Amino acid sequence: MPQPPAATTSLRSLARQTWLLARNDLRQEMRDFELVATAGFFTLVVLVMFGLSFSTLGRYAQPMAVPGILWLAVAFVGSLTLTRIFDREREADTLRALLAAPVHRLAIYLAKAGVTLAVLLGCCAILVPGLVLMFDAAAPFAERPLATFSLVFLGCAAYATIGTLFAAGLSTSGGKNVLLSVILYPLTSPALMFALVSTRTLLDGHPGFEGYLSQLVALDILQLVVSAWLFESVLVGTAGGSSRRKRSAGRRT
Amino acid sequence: MSGEAGQGGAITPLALHGVGKRFGRLAVLRAVDLEVVAGEIVGLVGANGSGKTTLLSIVAGLLPQSEGERCFGGRPSPTVEMEHRRRLAFVTHTTQLYGGLTARENLKLFAELRCAADAPWIDGGPLLERLGLSHAADRMVGTFSRGMMQRLALARALAGRPELLLLDEPFTSLDRPGRRLLAEVLAEERARGLAVLLSSHDTDAIIEVTDRVVLLEGGRLIDAAALESDDPERLRYRAAVQGLGLFSARSPGPSASSTAAVSA
Repeated sequence: MPQPPAATTSLRSLARQTWLLARNDLRQEMRDFELVATAGFFTLVVLVMFGLSFSTLGRYAQPMAVPGILWLAVAFVGSLTLTRIFDREREADTLRALLAAPVHRLAIYLAKAGVTLAVLLGCCAILVPGLVLMFDAAAPFAERPLATFSLVFLGCAAYATIGTLFAAGLSTSGGKNVLLSVILYPLTSPALMFALVSTRTLLDGHPGFEGYLSQLVALDILQLVVSAWLFESVLVGTAGGSSRRKRSAGRRT
Repeated sequence: MSGEAGQGGAITPLALHGVGKRFGRLAVLRAVDLEVVAGEIVGLVGANGSGKTTLLSIVAGLLPQSEGERCFGGRPSPTVEMEHRRRLAFVTHTTQLYGGLTARENLKLFAELRCAADAPWIDGGPLLERLGLSHAADRMVGTFSRGMMQRLALARALAGRPELLLLDEPFTSLDRPGRRLLAEVLAEERARGLAVLLSSHDTDAIIEVTDRVVLLEGGRLIDAAALESDDPERLRYRAAVQGLGLFSARSPGPSASSTAAVSA
């Protein structure tokens, strides 16, 4: 029987390890609901507060407010998620076990970005129907579900791809979570801007919506490639930083 | 077991040639030469800050060396590639286990990550039994004692059937039966051809389980047998080395000159 080429085997192994790591995170999450509960309740609070504040806006102002509410909520929930996405690895130092094991570094990145994306999409599953209920201007979300899903997926993916890279670096190097936000917001701004403008065109029924969506796809691909390329050096470099930190804490032998 | 033959015809899973490590201006390791052959347990001793954990981290690929050459199975490996990581396992004193998973799930996760897609899952049952953890196989690791975690971390390492096992302070938190169990397991694995490099401050345990001891001091491997010192710590290391009757960074076995130095 002919053997598959090495690249195919490697890709299959990468996909399998990514799934195993993501499943591991989801399994633990399903047991303690730590991340989901925090992000979910936070989303609800943001939605209710924005809803109460802006529900009386006129019909012309609403289409301008709704995209801002949606992506601001994603930015808040995203930063909350990213500060905790490597918590399990940080607390038990399991990241070093993964790095020493025959695991593709890229699989670690893809699994973490995938879980972040899943959490963000879960929050959007609360946000989008909530916005439709609270604002008349959000009705196109319900009328064009496929376009809405594509938009939300691509916007959240853009946030998760770049955010996971910096969350890994800062969590393993002992960087303070406040640093994550300081670095994260400027870097995710392009993704959020693209997503915001695309959302406005969707709500306005602008014919250029597909064009904006294509640009979001391009941004996603660019960020994914750059993050995947940088992830190993960020991770291995900071694992060294982690060991230096331990030494300075007097644990070096 | 693969790898090229080292001195004396033994297979050499690990060889370090002139390995050094700097953090900025601080030189933590300097020109370390070390070989570990198959079926050999090498003890790495030294005071706090001597560079033991750094050396193990470099071998495991968690830190890049600043200079020198690292060889696995006789082949130079500037970076620790997947294939090399498949052949080695690293157990540290932090155990690095997921507290939110059971012991069996922890084993299964890492066994599955190691296996090719079509390989059957390595059954963790016998390993857990061998390390006295079968009664706790389905308990959350977060509820384990420190010693149990240490044993589970060892089980996880052995599940991958490595050729080279790196142990950083493996005796930490182990009670007397736990230490005995660890010594027995290491002896069995040595008989199977496993090469082990372990660091410890516990000189008694080192003498019990290792074939030879190397001493790191100030980032250098030095001849502990010839140490002249009044420092009790250094004298203990010298005693440990002399207890085994040798010092040699190169395998296999003691060199005539080292043995002579010890005898003298």
